[in-house]
This record gives sequence, structure tokens and C-alpha cells, in this order.
Amino acid sequence: MNLLFAPHDSREGGAIPLPARIVGGLCAFLLVALVFAYAFHSLQYHWGWESVYAYRQKFINGWLMTLAISAAALLMSLVIGLCTALAQRSHFLPLRYLSKLYIEGIRGTPLLVQILVFFYVVADAFGVGDRYAVGVITLSLFAGAYISEIIRAGIESVGESQLESGRAIGLTRPQIYRHVVFPQAFRQTLPPLAGQFASLIKDSSLLSIIAVSEFTLNAQEVNAFTYSTLESYLPLAAGYLVLTLPISLLSRRLEKKFRYET
Amino acid sequence: MRLRLAGITKRFGSQTALDDITLELPEFKALAVIGPSGGGKTTLLRVIGGLMAPDGGELEIDGERVGFDEESLLAHRRRIGTVFQAYNLFPHLSALENITLPLEKVHNIPPAEARDQAQALLERFQLSPHGEKKPAQLSGGQQQRVAIARAMAIRPRFLLLDEPTSALDPEMTAEVLDIIMELRSEGRDIIMATHHMGFARSVADQTLFVCDGVVAEEGPAEELFGNPQSGKLRNFLAKILKY
Amino acid sequence: MNLVRTLLSRAGGWLPGLLAALVLSIATAHAAGRDTLVVGMELAYPPFEMTDTAGRPTGVSVDLAHELGKFLGKKIVIQNMAFDGLIPALKTGKIDLIISSMTANAERARSIDFSDPYLSTGLCLLVGKDSPVKGIKDLDQPGRSVAVKKGTTGHAWAGKNLKKARVLVLDKEAAAVLEVVQGKADAFIYDQMSTYQNWQKNQATTRAILEPFQKESWAVGIRKGNGDLRKKVNAFLADFRKRGGFERLGDQYLKEQKEAFKKLGYPFYL
Repeated sequence: MNLLFAPHDSREGGAIPLPARIVGGLCAFLLVALVFAYAFHSLQYHWGWESVYAYRQKFINGWLMTLAISAAALLMSLVIGLCTALAQRSHFLPLRYLSKLYIEGIRGTPLLVQILVFFYVVADAFGVGDRYAVGVITLSLFAGAYISEIIRAGIESVGESQLESGRAIGLTRPQIYRHVVFPQAFRQTLPPLAGQFASLIKDSSLLSIIAVSEFTLNAQEVNAFTYSTLESYLPLAAGYLVLTLPISLLSRRLEKKFRYET
Repeated sequence: MRLRLAGITKRFGSQTALDDITLELPEFKALAVIGPSGGGKTTLLRVIGGLMAPDGGELEIDGERVGFDEESLLAHRRRIGTVFQAYNLFPHLSALENITLPLEKVHNIPPAEARDQAQALLERFQLSPHGEKKPAQLSGGQQQRVAIARAMAIRPRFLLLDEPTSALDPEMTAEVLDIIMELRSEGRDIIMATHHMGFARSVADQTLFVCDGVVAEEGPAEELFGNPQSGKLRNFLAKILKY
Repeated sequence: MNLVRTLLSRAGGWLPGLLAALVLSIATAHAAGRDTLVVGMELAYPPFEMTDTAGRPTGVSVDLAHELGKFLGKKIVIQNMAFDGLIPALKTGKIDLIISSMTANAERARSIDFSDPYLSTGLCLLVGKDSPVKGIKDLDQPGRSVAVKKGTTGHAWAGKNLKKARVLVLDKEAAAVLEVVQGKADAFIYDQMSTYQNWQKNQATTRAILEPFQKESWAVGIRKGNGDLRKKVNAFLADFRKRGGFERLGDQYLKEQKEAFKKLGYPFYL
């Protein structure tokens, strides 16, 4: 059995035997570890984990805050994205053009700029001072635009003939969406949607610029207090991985479940 | 069933697909619609099937006027069993679910009963072992048979078949045509577009030859095929029956 | 696919070597050359560290750095970076000196060495015009928001002393001032010089409580184990002061502040 190469006729993850998977995975991991070990060694860095450990509560608090913000923004952005995707196909023209304007505006400007403008200009004009609420809303609006495009692509990927078939058996338009389009579109949207959610979690770190006390800001503060950069930022990276990996895995699992040929 | 069209016209931009079609057919059991691609055959079937509203004209089936507003068309579609050339079935549902979907969602039949009816139909068409399979796991012929089963499930007034075998190989074509012949013998009303002249000849009472947006010839099948009047029909038949 | 396999099987020997070379080239580089000193500062702190309209570094610290270079006979390169990145950069050798209006305190002294102090100042408050805060004692109450700039002594002070008030940690001085101006923060803890300037720029919306509640002095940051350089820098500072160098810098950049502070009775230079 060849331990390093996949058999000719296997698709992704399909028929690769377990020993080969272990050997291949270990090789990849070792390679990366080697590169990092070499880089750190030549850095001659004096590790100071104790000073960072003393601030562990800050890390935990920050991580929990990021979790909360991300979860809230995730839900909100999904709703916004769905509504916008449908609004783009609406027969009521002002709604259709409003949603197009929203999408182009949000996707064409950096999130950093949006955060600053929404908090220091828009929210201030409306007298809204709660930076956490404004932060979540800004993130939701940001991700919502991208999610809307993902959903739209998913819906449009369902062929015209499907719609006609649905009409032919007497389904109403909402019924066609519910029983024909969405179930099929769902499968198409899963990978990019999971990617967008992972991005959202990482993008939440930008809220630090309006002093939202989330994970990244807290790690930066610990760094400022203790001058231990790597000991602050490595746990930071690990913390984000803990949040994003489950999404990636869940998405893959769902994809496999809903797999069918078209 | 009886069919009457008066002044049915349909334009797509600058193209005229159906040009002022007027006809009144005597009582028939099976109507075959033949003609070249792009000649208006498919458009005519879609209008009769309530899938497309014409720009003008009247449509009467069994003496009943079919309204062209969306609500009336929806009601009309719900009483017809339609089968297209391909892509009838929904790929994310099993064969059984494809049949129960209209039963449950359109005709409000309780799920258990819908399931039983679907099973019965699958059995009738020798498809029982394939009930849980998704369309991708079925052959073309099996897919079309499930589509016909679905069309039958709602107990339609008549069946509308738009070249149901054109995408199939000869063997699968035969198994689908067999079913249609069977349904015909049971007395089902059928309107069907097809390229199979022999089949059309044996199954249909009436035939329409649609070409360039008009009904160039109409009449009982025997006469149409045995004694084509128009030059267009003669040319068409010659081409079709060449090989 | 087969081509890749062939390549990989032949690569065996030189692939690790290629990777090692790659890593070597991206590993930390030490400050360039023996005749250059890289001085790190955050060019966002007028009039000490700032950029002119052409984008060139200018200000009190920049001039001080160049004078140091002249004294030591070395070329000076100014490296602009975020304030809270200065000490890590010094520790890892990316820069050789920190001249960025940095306060010398015990915590920082654990990581780096400081020269003799060259300027004394203190932490004070910029408050919103309508804020009920009258002094440092009013700060630590529930419902109060206090803005600080990340990595400054103000940030450290807030972390230690404010238990009930909410601390807003901002990246940039300008953002912190904006928070006070918009009433989102009750006060901004920063040094006297900048607080005075920020108040001057926002007289309609802010007040300055310039009484320092924590005295501080600024010094030059030097990497630990570099005692020789430290001695030289101290020698320069003493010499520069004797020559009246600090007087000149004060007159050039801080005339207005000097007079205002003299009137208020605050010390200006060591």
C-alpha cells in the first residue's frame, strides 16, 4: 500500500486508507512545525508565559465576548442576507434597487471604514452610544451583503426547468421556493456560507478599534502590559481557530449529508 | 375531450411563436401534435397546459373557458398531468417523494394516504424497488416513468406530454411508449407532442401539424399520415421517415 | 499527476534545503550595519513625533535623534511604528533605540533599559464639556467611561486603578479625543502636553484638567545588555542640555505650551 499517494480513482476523502491518512497528515504537520521551530529559534526570543498566564481572565473574557458578538452577528446577517436576496428578486422595484445599492455599497468599502463611519458618524447622529450594539449591527450589515450574494447565487443555480416543473404540478410561487428552490439552493450555499461565517468571526476583531472589549483587543492589552508579544498572540490565534474550525467541520458534514447528483 | 382555440397568438419580442391559431376539434381521446422544432409545437402545448398565457385569443377545454389570469391558470394546471422531455423530477427528492409532493402540497391529501397512492402507482409502473432512490440513481426511462406516475397521481383531467421520449435511447423509449399506450387503452385523455410517427399514428385519434406558428394541417391521424395535403407536411414526413 | 510524483521522488535531497533557505530569509533581521542606528517612534504625537506635509518625520524627538546621531557619529534612520509595538521591536532587534516620548517606569524597565530622563510631565485629564467629572477622584464610579490609548501609562494606570468605571481602550489618540468630544467617554487620560493641545483644538466640546495626578518622565529606550550605548546616550543628553539644546527645541516647537504651563506653574523640562 502506498503511504504517501492517494489511489488513482479516489475522490476527496473517499477511499484513502487510514494509515495513509495518518502518515500524510503527520508529514504536513511536521513540516509546518519545523518551519515555525526554526523561525522561533533564530529569533532568540525569551519566552515569558507566566506574565501572560496572570492575565488569563482577560483572554477568557475577550474570547467569550467575541463568541457572543459573532453569534449575534451571524444570526442577524443570515436574516439580512436572506431578506436582501429575496428583495433583489422582488417585483416591487424600489425595494429591488434599494437592496442592490446596499450590496454594492457594503461590498465596495472596507469593514474598517464602515465601523468608523457607523459608530462615529451615523450612530452619533442618531444618538446611539452603545458600541457593542452598533458593532454587532455593523458586522451584520457587512456580512449580510456577502451572504445575500451567496444565497442569490444558490437560488439562481437552481435551473429554470426546475421552476417550470414546479409550476407544472401546480405549486404556487412561495411553494416552489420552499419545496424546490431552497432545498436545492441550500446545498449550493453551504461551502461559501461556512466560509463567510468563519470570516465574520475573524472580522469581529476589527471592532477593537472602537474599543469593543473583544478577544483581539484584550490580547493586545495583555501585550501592552507585559510586552510578551508571542505569548499573547499565539493563544489569540488558537482561540480563533477554536471558533472557526467547528464551523468548517460542520459544513463539511452537512455537505456530505445533502450530496446528490444533479 | 374537446378542444377549441380561437385566435391564440403568442409573441416573444419580434418573434411570433403562435400566429392567430383557430381550431375546433371533435371529441377525441388522444391528440398527437407533430412538427419541426421551433415551429410552435412546444409553445402551443404550454398554452394548452396553462404554463403560458397567450397574448390574445380564447381557449376552451371540454366547453370550459380557460381564463388567462394567474389564478385561473394555476387552477387549470392543477388538473392536468404534465410530463416534459427532461428535468421533470426534483433531484433532491426520492422518486416516492416526487410523487407525494404535489399530492400533499397542492391537493392537500394527508401524508399517509399520499404515500399509499404513490406506492400503488410505482407498483403499477413496475418501479416499486426504486421508490427511495433519487432521480440521479435512476435511468432516463425510469425517470420518465416516475414523471408519468406523478402526472397520474393527481387524477388529472388529461395528460399533457411534451416529447417525453426524445431524450431517451430506443430501449427506454419503448418502455415509456408502452405505458402511454396502456394509459390510452384505459381511456385516458392525452395530448402529446412527439417525433415518433408510427406511435402517433397508432395511438392518436386526432393530429395537429404545427409549423411556422400555425396549424398547417389537422385531422384524424390516419388521414394526416396516409394522405398529407400540404407540401410542408409532406416534406416534414419525408425527412422524419427517411431513416 | 505522474509528473508531480516523479518530481517529488527526485526532490528528496534539495527540498528541505530550499525550505531552510526560505525560512532563513524570513527570519528576523537585525538592525542594518554598524554605522546606523535605527530609532523607533510613533509619528502620531505632535509636536514631538509627527510628519510634515511631505510625509517626512519631524518634531522634537526627530531632531533629538538626529542630534544624537551627530554626537555619536552615526547615521540615524527613523522607523515609524505603533506605540505599543515599540518595545517588542526593540527587544527583537528591529530597532536600536526608542525615542518616542516614552515614560520610564518600573514595568517597562523589566523589559528594556532607559536612559536618564530628559523631560518631566504628568498624566492628566481631558474631559467633556458637560461631563460631571471634576478631577481624578470623580473617575472611578459606575457609569463613567474613561478613554485611554493602548500601551500608554494612562492605560496602565486605568487598568490598575479603575475598578468601577468602564475603560475604553483606543488605538489612536485622535479616536480617544473623538470619544470625549462626542460624549461617549467622560475623560481621556493622557500627558499634559497633548491634553493641552487637544483642548485647544476642541474648545467648544472639552475641558482640560491639567493638574497631573501621576508624575512621569520621559527617557530614551535601549535594549537590555547594551550598557555601552546607554552610557553614550546619557552623555549626549547631559551635553545637549548644557549646550541649551532643549531650550532651543522648546522654543521651536512648544512656545505656546511653554508659556501656558509657566502660567499654570507646571514644570516643563528636567
